[in-house]
Amino acid sequence: MFSYEKMLQYPVRIKNPNPKYAQIIISQYGGPDGELGASLRYLSQRFAMPYPELKGLLTDIGTEELGHLEMIGAIVYQLTRNLSYDEIKKSGFDAYFTDHTTGVYPTAASGFPFTAASMQSKGDLIADLTEDLAAEQKARVTYDNILRLVDDPDVREPIKFLREREIVHFQRFGEGLRLATDRLDSKNYYICNPSFDDNCGCSCEK
Amino acid sequence: MNKREAAMRRLQSAKFALWEMHLYLDTHPEDLESIAAYKKYEAKYVLLLNEFEENYGAVTQFAPGVAWLKNPWPWESEVCD
Repeated sequence: MFSYEKMLQYPVRIKNPNPKYAQIIISQYGGPDGELGASLRYLSQRFAMPYPELKGLLTDIGTEELGHLEMIGAIVYQLTRNLSYDEIKKSGFDAYFTDHTTGVYPTAASGFPFTAASMQSKGDLIADLTEDLAAEQKARVTYDNILRLVDDPDVREPIKFLREREIVHFQRFGEGLRLATDRLDSKNYYICNPSFDDNCGCSCEK
Repeated sequence: MNKREAAMRRLQSAKFALWEMHLYLDTHPEDLESIAAYKKYEAKYVLLLNEFEENYGAVTQFAPGVAWLKNPWPWESEVCD
């Protein structure tokens, strides 16, 4: 089960609304490399993970990503307070506003709504962990791109925190992949799939 | 920054240290030094959590009603309130 703690992982405290920034940053809410996709990816992949360290890692990083989703939601919410019609029109936020007012909706910056088509749960630990490494890098690049476009330090600080988390997760997933391959046949990692085949490595290990 | 926000920052820092050790222990489960560090941070977090909840309302879901429903919620900046 899940429970909620009434606090953000890192503070979000934005003084100046900016609908242009909101429409860029919303991509990390519902875009192709965003936090919603990240949490669904890890929390779904974990069911097929054969080793305890990997079940723990996917559960924990998937959970942390839900906390990041909340931070992105808070950033978008705070950037879209007290907007005038003029600001909405001039900033280009009018397209989003028409469909969602200032509600937080999972979409990419391009307007494409959230889709699970940008993630995978392959039921094979090497394929899944390799995807997770790439996913962390893609999210890191998205944060780097956001940092190229955003000047306000109130917005940059939490974005920089989230960017750093992608790097830490990449490191942990790398260690996870190593822990996995250490337990497979070193002559051929792919001879069988420990998430599916019997008698393949130590899939029944407690 | 008001007193509540300052207390929340302390709580967030302690929680972050605790969480970072937790993730590290997923891939280094028998690292005794890290287990000791985790326990140290955990004690600090529990202390700060109790202090915060006594003064400013609930963070965890074990205090339903008024304490849980108290504003602000985490996504609300206190800048303009």
